[in-house]
Amino acid sequence: MSELINKIEQGLKSRVIVCLDVAHGRVVKGVNFKGLQDMGDPVELAIRYQEQGADEIVFLDIKATLEQRANALETVTRVAENLSIPFTVGGGLNTYTDVAQFLNAGADKVALNSAAVKKPELIDQIAKGFGSQCVVVAVDLDQEIADGNYRVYINGGNTSTQLDAMQWLAEVEQRGAGEVLLTAMHRDGTGIGFDNELMGRVSKQLGIQVIASGGACKPEHFTETFLAGSDAALAAGMFHRGEFTVGQVKQELFNNGVAVRIEKQND
Amino acid sequence: MSDSMVVEVMPKVGVINTGAGNLYSLNGCLRRIGFEPVTINSPADMQGKDISALIIPGQGRFGTVMSNLRNSGLDKLISDWYQGDKKVVGICVGLQVLFEESEEDPGIKGLGIFKGKVTRLKSPKQPMVGWADVDSEKNWLDQTTLYFVNSYGVTESEQAIASVTYGETFVAAIASNQLVAFQCHPEKSGIAGEEVLKQCLS
Repeated sequence: MSELINKIEQGLKSRVIVCLDVAHGRVVKGVNFKGLQDMGDPVELAIRYQEQGADEIVFLDIKATLEQRANALETVTRVAENLSIPFTVGGGLNTYTDVAQFLNAGADKVALNSAAVKKPELIDQIAKGFGSQCVVVAVDLDQEIADGNYRVYINGGNTSTQLDAMQWLAEVEQRGAGEVLLTAMHRDGTGIGFDNELMGRVSKQLGIQVIASGGACKPEHFTETFLAGSDAALAAGMFHRGEFTVGQVKQELFNNGVAVRIEKQND
Repeated sequence: MSDSMVVEVMPKVGVINTGAGNLYSLNGCLRRIGFEPVTINSPADMQGKDISALIIPGQGRFGTVMSNLRNSGLDKLISDWYQGDKKVVGICVGLQVLFEESEEDPGIKGLGIFKGKVTRLKSPKQPMVGWADVDSEKNWLDQTTLYFVNSYGVTESEQAIASVTYGETFVAAIASNQLVAFQCHPEKSGIAGEEVLKQCLS
């Protein structure tokens, strides 16, 4: 409870973030990575979640290959013109030019994952050029069976690096990241809740905000992670499958004394 | 709709091009609340446009925005509008440049319309990113939840009309003459933010 009381005194609301996968200008859902199912228009879906009370939208896996680039940028501009809450774009951004293109097209922030590991100075460059508030570093973690420590994974969680998670997170902050999006791979898709021991530990260690990701399937999971110290929490499937609305998650948080943003229409 | 035949002309709002970021979100927000944004690159762009209010947008750092304003002559335009008691709205760095100087870029002068200095905020986590309730003496602003993104801000101002607390308490909004400026981003603050902007521009 002490973490929660601290946070209320600090003044920031706990953020609920919805993640959408975008490919070829459409929101898609992968079925066991085989074949992508079309879920609809990114602007329409983002607005639906905004109306439910989402505090932020993340578009990942934008599949912005060079051939798709113009299309992806146009989607980002359309979102910027129509959405009235912040949004982040990530996945497939590898260079400073990539990032600059998406920020200039209207994205509020970019999420860097593999590119940050392969070329850490990219974090410094974007923080200098656009400000730390634009840089979210996404870190995919899994626990090493041998020693119980967390290691960083890249390339969509397929490639293990030798990077120690805590060391990498400290470096990311020092290089100028504004936030970290922490995905516990061992929880992803399990529906057993966020890895709150991990999220709480990282949140305490870092001087930047921690977005918890991986494992949520019901509103209670959000309460648990905010009580453990996460600054924000992200989910996809439980919202896309229609099992819960963001409004239901916010209500649950509110009932448990977590400070959340409730818009008038959600009262 | 019986009045659907009436063609409503949206009042024009001049959006100062500070050269430091995209204006898509702000322009989209203005259209949603019934104003037509007109990008102002230099004072000449104001002519014959019947512009009802000026907005100083909230992206970029203090020094970059100030040098762009000086080079384009828009610094004087903003001061003249304020002195002439016309509507001006500042957002984030658009509030900060109204003051004398900033710790973000020491040695660079701000517009100096208001006394005071922009300092690095003592936030529990830096940068401050997220939603917070503002306390205000104004009913239309009090207890509104708005989106903040900042490392720098103003902790004291005679013109303050709202404050916010994240670790320390600082100025969330100021007002003087027909000018209102926000440390937060109303254009990114959902319906609550749209209502706040509408109040200032109407």
